[in-house]
Amino acid sequence: MAKPKIASDWMAGCAGCHMSLLDIDERILQIAELVDIRATPITDLKEPDESGVDVGILEGGINNTANEEVAHKMRKRCKILVALGDCAVFGGVPAMRNFFKLDEVLKRAYIETESTDEEGKIPDDPELAKMTKVRAVHEVVPVDVFVPGCPPDPDVIFYVLSELAQGRIPELKDEKLHWH
Amino acid sequence: MVTLTIDGRTVEVPEGTTVLRAAEKAGIKIPTLCDHPHLQPFGGCRVCVVEVEGLRTLQPSCTLPVSQNMVVRTNTPKVLAARKFVLTLIFSDRNHFCPYCQVSGGDCELQNTALDMGMTHWDYQPAWKPYPVDASHPNLVIDHNRCILCRRCVRACGELVGNYTLGIEERGANSMLIADTGVPFGESTCISCGTCSQVCPTGAIIDRRSAYQGLEKKTESTRTVCVQCSVGCGVEVLTRDNRMVRILGDWDATVNGGVICKLGRFDPLDDTRERVKTPMVRKDGKLQPASWDEALEVIAKTLKAHQGKGIAALVSPRLPAEAMTAFKSLFKEGLHAEMVTSMNGSGMASRLAAEAGVHENTLDVLHCADCVVTVGLDLYSDHQVLGFFIKRRLNTSTALVVMDSRENRFAEYARIALKPAAGKEAFALQALAAAIREGHNGTSGKFGELASKAGLSEAEIAKVADLIRKSGTTVFVYGEGLDENGAKALLEVVQQAGDNTKLVSAKGAANSLFAGQLGLSNSFNPKGCPTVFVALGDDEPSNALIQQLEGTEFLAVAASHVSRLTAMADVVLPVEMWAEQEGTYINLEGRVQKAHAALRPTEWVRSSTEAIMALGKLLDVPVSTDWQKAFQNHPSPVTLIGEPA
Ligand code: SF4
Ligand code: SF4
Ligand code: SF4
Ligand code: SF4
Ligand code: FES
Repeated sequence: MAKPKIASDWMAGCAGCHMSLLDIDERILQIAELVDIRATPITDLKEPDESGVDVGILEGGINNTANEEVAHKMRKRCKILVALGDCAVFGGVPAMRNFFKLDEVLKRAYIETESTDEEGKIPDDPELAKMTKVRAVHEVVPVDVFVPGCPPDPDVIFYVLSELAQGRIPELKDEKLHWH
Repeated sequence: MVTLTIDGRTVEVPEGTTVLRAAEKAGIKIPTLCDHPHLQPFGGCRVCVVEVEGLRTLQPSCTLPVSQNMVVRTNTPKVLAARKFVLTLIFSDRNHFCPYCQVSGGDCELQNTALDMGMTHWDYQPAWKPYPVDASHPNLVIDHNRCILCRRCVRACGELVGNYTLGIEERGANSMLIADTGVPFGESTCISCGTCSQVCPTGAIIDRRSAYQGLEKKTESTRTVCVQCSVGCGVEVLTRDNRMVRILGDWDATVNGGVICKLGRFDPLDDTRERVKTPMVRKDGKLQPASWDEALEVIAKTLKAHQGKGIAALVSPRLPAEAMTAFKSLFKEGLHAEMVTSMNGSGMASRLAAEAGVHENTLDVLHCADCVVTVGLDLYSDHQVLGFFIKRRLNTSTALVVMDSRENRFAEYARIALKPAAGKEAFALQALAAAIREGHNGTSGKFGELASKAGLSEAEIAKVADLIRKSGTTVFVYGEGLDENGAKALLEVVQQAGDNTKLVSAKGAANSLFAGQLGLSNSFNPKGCPTVFVALGDDEPSNALIQQLEGTEFLAVAASHVSRLTAMADVVLPVEMWAEQEGTYINLEGRVQKAHAALRPTEWVRSSTEAIMALGKLLDVPVSTDWQKAFQNHPSPVTLIGEPA
């Protein structure tokens, strides 16, 4: 039997969940033996195979039209979609901006920050993705496995990956379940 | 007794028990949020729902009383689904993004409940409505974003503290926790007892001093007693790495049942006084670090040389009974010092009570009193927990009378406030005794005369007498504001009124009762004593004391903190502060309680008892710490309770 294919991507997150994934250290070799690691943001291949993967992993919430595309593409191309980390599961830190109006947030970020020079300017290139409210992944596409944590613990990530690699759906409870 | 079945287990409980408590008894855990074992059942959150055979809808177990042969199921798929749904609704209201919350990771009951249920996420995003954070209070912060409207704080402030500061305004989704009529928390009637923060299940009410210092579940806890006053409340001191993080009221403590006041909860954490780190001896006019041996040697030599020529010794009534006993044994019995006493301002009244054979009652009389009369005591600022006991009953038929010649803030809660002229309390109390005796059917004028001597009207006294006569049980609570004549007059009232009248005395400092039993209640007068030893402990020396001791030829102070007194001293011994001490405290009702050390002192610091014993050894004077024996020296106004074997 062919090894299951795994792909991951990140959206409105801080990359911390992927760092925590790398934090499983040498155990990544065990994972690599069991699965075929395809596209990830930290390897050369950036997009999940058109022919599909078994497991898709998304870090981060969805905060603009580009993220929406990433999420839809991953959902379409994977069998099991994993929301990795609090941002993907709940919206996380980026979702705090939902408590403000978008133009207030942009003004603060591009014009009012203490380090901005006089010509602070909100980027308006038409090529840029359009900002939206920050949403958890499951608000945009159905999610099969939720792995909360900010970031999830490497041991938890290892457990999740090894279960998925062996064709099982991981069950998070007790000491494996954290939201922080 | 009622018999019912919960998850197939048969339980027998008294009638009126809730299904929740019955399940607890059967060892079955039902998750709860708004419920709190020390508060009245409320039934607001619906996390505790269960299925009851024969009932169409799910029922909140925390408010549902058991009935005969009831069949309850606590974990059917229907129950679990409902519970998860309730939690989802709570989470998606307001802001529960846990990673940046003070209590996330083990201290949040909401989060713990969800994790226990295996919830990896919830289905709805919040409405993204920012709620205010009220940081106007000196000790507490209310973050409304984390509030789940469980009303535990509201109920605790009312039911336990009797302060009724917190409330909920509006209804439904607009509900908001408010202080008083919606004023900033810091400008409200809050008295900073912190009980609301202790019962809040989430990160909505946090205290400024200890928030964001790591999780409560990662601290060490020591159960001990508060030594800020003679009530002797049980507290739990939370420490991490030998540092005090937080102080909580001990729910299991008999005295206070979980509530404590600002003095016990917050003030000790705000103590920024500098510690005395090493023994010090004055050399060339300057205090200089020295060894314990050297410092003790200097004191011992001076004491020996000045014996019979005037030695005065003063002890803090905040110290453990062992230290006070050792102190008295060294200075009184051993060295026959001219002046041996404590900074105990309040021994007199209790001594009079003991002499008059009037027995002071235990604090439980306050929990069932129909009428409480406080005399010469402001329970708003002192012995506050006694005030909580009284205030929490004021919405029943219990009546409060406050008699004080001074400004008294507790009077604002009183049904009748009497303000006799200063020094004339005795007349007021005599008038009261006469009025109770005579009745006031217009025939007799004796109490009217006495009343006017006290600067009060006949009608005022008659009203109080009437109240007392009509009350089942009246408790008089008296304090330091009463002079000797006043105390005698009060004892007369109590003796005359008979069995329905109880007496409680607020005795000032933590071990004031014991200081009184040791006979260390005389006022301190070091005149004519060139040598003075002060066992100050962690007490703060008063200005009057400092003035009295100015110009003392030789002054030795055993203290934990640097003060103007230690600066004046010739020798300073570094001793433990309250949280480092082990020892015995006897509270105002005679309850014997052990203080346990929550913190380790630094290597140079010793206990006050050790310091005194070491002096005794150098002076060849036997020093006893047998406080039990010492206690029996004087007739006591109370019986010792819970004396450890
Ligand atoms: S109160 Fe509890 S559930 Fe809410 S954010 Fe804080 S830790 Fe999370
Ligand atoms: S600190 Fe005490 S008085 Fe103030 S609101 Fe909380 S419970 Fe009430
Ligand atoms: S502040 Fe805390 S205790 Fe009070 S209602 Fe909100 S969550 Fe409950
Ligand atoms: S009432 Fe007295 S013993 Fe109790 S917490 Fe307050 S100061 Fe401490
Ligand atoms: S615990 Fe029963 S309704 Fe809240």
